[in-house]
Amino acid sequence: MIDRFRKGRKDKRPSPDILMPPEGVPLTLPIAGVGVRTAAQFTDIVLTSIAAISLLILLSTLDLASPQSMAAIAVLVFFSIGVPYYVLAELAWNGQTLGKRIMKIKVVAHDGGSLSAHSIVLRNLMKEAEIFLPGMLLLTLGTASPLEATASLVWIAIALLVPLCDRYRRRLGDMMAGTHVIHLPVPILLKDMAVEKPEVETDRKSFVFLSHQLDHYGAFELQTLESLLRARNTPAATAANPQTDAAIATIVEKIRKKIGYAAPVPPQDRLRFLQAFYNAQREHLEQRRLFGDRRDNKHYAQTDKDI
Amino acid sequence: MDSQDLIRSARFRKEREADWQRLETLVRAAESKGLQRMAFADARDLAELYRQSTTSLAIAREISLDKALLTYLEALTARAYLCVYAPQERLGGLFGRFLKRGAPEAMRRSWKFILLGFLFMTLGALAGYLLYFENNDWFYVFMPSEMASGRSPNATTDSLRASIYGHDSGTSGLGSFAAYLFSHNTRIAIFVFGLGVFACAPAILLTFYNGLILGAFFALHVDRGLGVDLAGWLSVHGVTELSAVCIACGGGLKLGSAVLFPGNRTRADALRHAGRDAVKLALVAALMLVAAALLESFARQLVQDMTSRFVIGWGVGALWLAWFAFGGRRLR
Repeated sequence: MIDRFRKGRKDKRPSPDILMPPEGVPLTLPIAGVGVRTAAQFTDIVLTSIAAISLLILLSTLDLASPQSMAAIAVLVFFSIGVPYYVLAELAWNGQTLGKRIMKIKVVAHDGGSLSAHSIVLRNLMKEAEIFLPGMLLLTLGTASPLEATASLVWIAIALLVPLCDRYRRRLGDMMAGTHVIHLPVPILLKDMAVEKPEVETDRKSFVFLSHQLDHYGAFELQTLESLLRARNTPAATAANPQTDAAIATIVEKIRKKIGYAAPVPPQDRLRFLQAFYNAQREHLEQRRLFGDRRDNKHYAQTDKDI
Repeated sequence: MDSQDLIRSARFRKEREADWQRLETLVRAAESKGLQRMAFADARDLAELYRQSTTSLAIAREISLDKALLTYLEALTARAYLCVYAPQERLGGLFGRFLKRGAPEAMRRSWKFILLGFLFMTLGALAGYLLYFENNDWFYVFMPSEMASGRSPNATTDSLRASIYGHDSGTSGLGSFAAYLFSHNTRIAIFVFGLGVFACAPAILLTFYNGLILGAFFALHVDRGLGVDLAGWLSVHGVTELSAVCIACGGGLKLGSAVLFPGNRTRADALRHAGRDAVKLALVAALMLVAAALLESFARQLVQDMTSRFVIGWGVGALWLAWFAFGGRRLR
């Protein structure tokens, strides 16, 4: 009962990975976790400090300025690899710093609109207050003043807990700026399995499935079969492997039994059978879908009754 | 293969595949070069193909069960979306708009919070002033020793006068500029703004404490008959610098009050709304602190005359006020 209640409540809220652009077609942009963001932050700190230190070493070897001015320049350089660097980098690279580019994550506007300069400035100003300031305190105070060191430790702990408790893994700064951080999706177009019709040789009969034989499976089973066929088609897998052959034999038998396909499938035709079944099943399911009958998995009949 | 043989979703894919691939190359170009440097036709095609691909995605979700196609279209459309809705303003334009309109308008909208900031600072100063006359030892309680630099109730009147009308020797202009920029008040301003989120209290306390220091310090000099001289010495940069702290406090209070009293919004929503102005206040405060550091490192050592110190300090203060009061108003 409680389980059901909880489940129902969870289902009502949309997944955090969904972002609604102004076009009104929801896009899936997976939320970047705390781990990868911390990694990006560390990468940024390391890269910028290396750049700053080498710049300072270069300047001091060139011997252009007096020691006092050098100290001033050093302070300014170290200041500029703080908030100014993050703001300018995210403005120039559309929500990515160097570390974020390496980790392939990106800042997006939470409401799906475009990322404004205001949001970028705000979230990075808050980064100073949330992370850098207590972090610096923690590093510089050391054991001399245990009270202040503990306070800054608690401060960092709270700043880290906020994103852990949030569904979108937002920092305080993200909440204020109306942004969150996502993984960049990588578009890879694989070929369409349905186009891969097996060449039907004249002497062999092609497989024909009847409508009632295709009523046993739903989209989930179809897509599982699709992944299996794709894996078989990779160059590494084409070489005959007794183990996968055995697996395929079992799958073919299972399908035959389930759908009541009477004729036996000879071993050399098994893949051809699966391919033909995939095509027929997909065509059938897509047809049903057009008529408003969505079959998400093989239990579609039971779930219908539930509603 | 004849396209008639294909099932419906495969035909759908076949008809549009070329467009998607073109979009993919455009997206890659936009990501590596930036939209500004793309040819006009390419940028136009990018926007158009992006909108086509969103409709393709919507249709594919309805009619296709090809998992590879769905994941590809999801990823492609998302990448294109990120390119199309990238910020397209140039940095110069951003700064110009901030200075001309954004900052003064934000200051005018949140004048109540800034006034509160000034109020807490004044109250602190008053308390510090009165407490000093009650008992000189309060000075040591308030004042961090590294800030006083020898100017304590034990110091002679002459040495106090010397530190007001004296030359710092041994530091170059730029060196002292940096030193002042990252001095006590800058840290206070950052803390005051950032801590405001935690329900206002830290921001108020810090501003009040800053006022206490100021009050006690001032009382020490009044006690020795140097009140007016110190006021001149402080005016040069203090008008700008202390205002910056108060403005930062106003920004922090704005954030804190959004957390405390979100009204009809959710707290996150209220914070976001308050953040729009608060961040502008923080930037204004940062700008003023830089200006104060410039004044402190150059003007204060160069100008030894008391009246011109007053004129410079309060003149600059009046300029700030004029910017906040009149910046960005439309002429009728």
